[in-house]
Amino acid sequence: MKLTGFILAGVLSLFSTVAISETFTFTAIPDEDESQLRTRFNKVAVYLSEQLDVEVKYVPVKSYSAAVTAFRNNQVQLAWFGGLSGVQARRLVPGSEAIAQGFEDQFFKSYIIAHHSTELVASDRFPVLNDYTFTFGSKDSTSGRLMPQYFIENNLGKPVEETFKRIGFSGDHSRTISQVEAGVYQVGAVNYKVWDTAVEKGEVDTTKVSVIWQSPTYPDYQWTVHSGVDTVYGAGFKDKLTHALLNMKDRNLLDSFPRESFVPASNSDYEPIERVAKAIGMLD
Amino acid sequence: MHSISSRGFLSYLGHWQKLTLGLFALVLLCWFVADTEVIALEPWAELSRMFNGFMHPDFAATEYLLDALWQTISFALLGIGLGLLLGVPLALVYQHSWVAAMCAFIRAIHEIFWALIFLQIFGLSPLTGILAIGLPYAATFARVFADILQQAPVHTIFCLPHGTSKLSALLYGRWMHVYPQIVAYIRYRFECALRSSAVLGFIGMPTLGFYLESAFRQGHYQQGGALLILFIALIGTIRFWAKPIMLWVYLPLAVYFLPPLPLFQEQLVWRFISVDILPPMLQGLPLSAWFNAGVFMSVWEWGDQLVRNQVIPGIIATLVLACCALGLTHMLTLILLPLNTRLLMPNWVTILMRAVNLILRSLPEYLLAFVFMLLLGPSMLPAIIALALHNSGLMVFLMARQSDEVTVPLTYRPRIGDYCYTVLPTIYPYFMALLFYRFEVIIRETAILGMLGVMTLGFYVDSNFAEIRFSGALLLLLFTAGLNVLVDYLTRKLIQIPRNRLQAC
Repeated sequence: MKLTGFILAGVLSLFSTVAISETFTFTAIPDEDESQLRTRFNKVAVYLSEQLDVEVKYVPVKSYSAAVTAFRNNQVQLAWFGGLSGVQARRLVPGSEAIAQGFEDQFFKSYIIAHHSTELVASDRFPVLNDYTFTFGSKDSTSGRLMPQYFIENNLGKPVEETFKRIGFSGDHSRTISQVEAGVYQVGAVNYKVWDTAVEKGEVDTTKVSVIWQSPTYPDYQWTVHSGVDTVYGAGFKDKLTHALLNMKDRNLLDSFPRESFVPASNSDYEPIERVAKAIGMLD
Repeated sequence: MHSISSRGFLSYLGHWQKLTLGLFALVLLCWFVADTEVIALEPWAELSRMFNGFMHPDFAATEYLLDALWQTISFALLGIGLGLLLGVPLALVYQHSWVAAMCAFIRAIHEIFWALIFLQIFGLSPLTGILAIGLPYAATFARVFADILQQAPVHTIFCLPHGTSKLSALLYGRWMHVYPQIVAYIRYRFECALRSSAVLGFIGMPTLGFYLESAFRQGHYQQGGALLILFIALIGTIRFWAKPIMLWVYLPLAVYFLPPLPLFQEQLVWRFISVDILPPMLQGLPLSAWFNAGVFMSVWEWGDQLVRNQVIPGIIATLVLACCALGLTHMLTLILLPLNTRLLMPNWVTILMRAVNLILRSLPEYLLAFVFMLLLGPSMLPAIIALALHNSGLMVFLMARQSDEVTVPLTYRPRIGDYCYTVLPTIYPYFMALLFYRFEVIIRETAILGMLGVMTLGFYVDSNFAEIRFSGALLLLLFTAGLNVLVDYLTRKLIQIPRNRLQAC
């Protein structure tokens, strides 16, 4: 009985230790290296709090859907979203805005990569992919799922389920590369930056796997801010924030994303993404 | 004539032989249907990177490592605490069939999915993790404690002096008889809770799993190897650091060092039940407008599409995968068990095997599945093998305790023949009961493998969460839970033996 009472007291005290804060919180999932997230983004938090004169905190999340949920619940007021997750988030939080995107995100692209046994070669024309096995990246990725699926369906004129013998979701761009390299799947779709970095670092055996097609460009990652930050953190906060993001020049900070620099963005930049998501049935 | 001869044959078989043959037939059938294509591959580059990672584990690569270790323990402790708090009272009323059904339903949903649901209501809060462990564990405690209590002798109750309060009678007359069993079970559950706590890291709780999953997903095998070694060591040393007396120290510390709780927002709960769980066409529609033919038709069509495209293929894949894994678990356990029995093997073999079991049951299934996927290609086979290895590791761990306690005649010699005629038949009923219980667990665990791309129910639930379609996810979870309740009911029917000493994870 004593034990139960003790546990009861413990659990009850849980509900009382509520932290109330006016801290400005943000989250970010980089598209390449996810190690040392907190260490890297805490530096960004320090930069932002110097620029904005409020306490800024970074919250690590695991997936885009978790980031969208945190944004929707107002647990984070600013998020570095992928193209699709940004659209999802802004649909769920009316009044929220895309304020900046990465320089590279103005013309982002995906690669289709293939195992050497397929004997597919690089070409400007869309490859014939019938009856191969195929892997996307993570289910909610823009460059590893949404856009590739759209381009494939658009070029081959039928749903991906009818094109491929087997479809997988590797969960991550680097996994897509290693699985196609190992021949687990014959063909895959991957974020071009992740591929280029991996090739540069010599982590890919390019005799085993190579790029066979690159997609047209589309807009991708962006900073999206919650509606109503001006009322909570003072008038003009959104402008100050936008300014701080666009003027982030420190390589050390930019490498965390990793982006060249940030440039202005608006909600309308992402209309193509929303259209595509609706076209392939990922948004209602 | 034919029917007579077949009846004649069957009458030679005992209950357990029939059950085993039936199981084999079912497994063969499923194996025939299952997608077990092996694809010739070139896995060696990736496997050698992985091997190198394990050879040179990098313990410094993970930020806030001690924090993650401590949070893993802390979530497990608080989850178990909450589980006991809710589970003990429930065990006392478990005889009511609606309580049992409710508990079966709660148990049927994997911790990860509970966490994904609570994530919508509480956000990234420790509460999400604690509830996600506590709730299903409470339901399991309720059932197991009720089962254990049933075995308690009743005579003490009649010896108590007249006027003894009900509570004292219950405590001294019933609980005290089974106290050691209950404590042993709680300790075992704590090990399970540590695993669950780590797994919750996969979706964002700040436990070891958070870093473990990222490291393996992104191919940072040196970091991943280090984390895995730590995790296995944590589980392997439980009995040294988790002495019952230490709980008085750990529990307050666990509460004190929790990450800060965000402000609880009632409107999130309200939004969840008034908007999120509704089919998309009903969201934002006033209640009065629900009841017309057009709306009804579109809801019907939505449900029909979901059932046809996701629920039915999901259930088939789940059952086929789970049956194949069950059959393989049966075989592997029977092969491994003799190696773990002191009645058959010298001490050094059993000690060595204990380490093997520890590794098998601590390795997350999804990691095993990933390794086998590199070797065998993306069919169901890697998932089947991963589930079977993990579960037979657990089965052997639990069964070895049973087989060591068997009293053998003086003529017994440690030979395989003696083992098969004396030890195995004694423990076989427990073995089968435990195996069928594992079936329920395997079905639940297919959820995680669904996240790897095997198109089980878990795959579709995960997809719906990824696409922010909560109503679809919840409908699928209802079917998942329903399937589990049904399987639980059927397997209980099949093994009509006392279920004492059974342990569940």
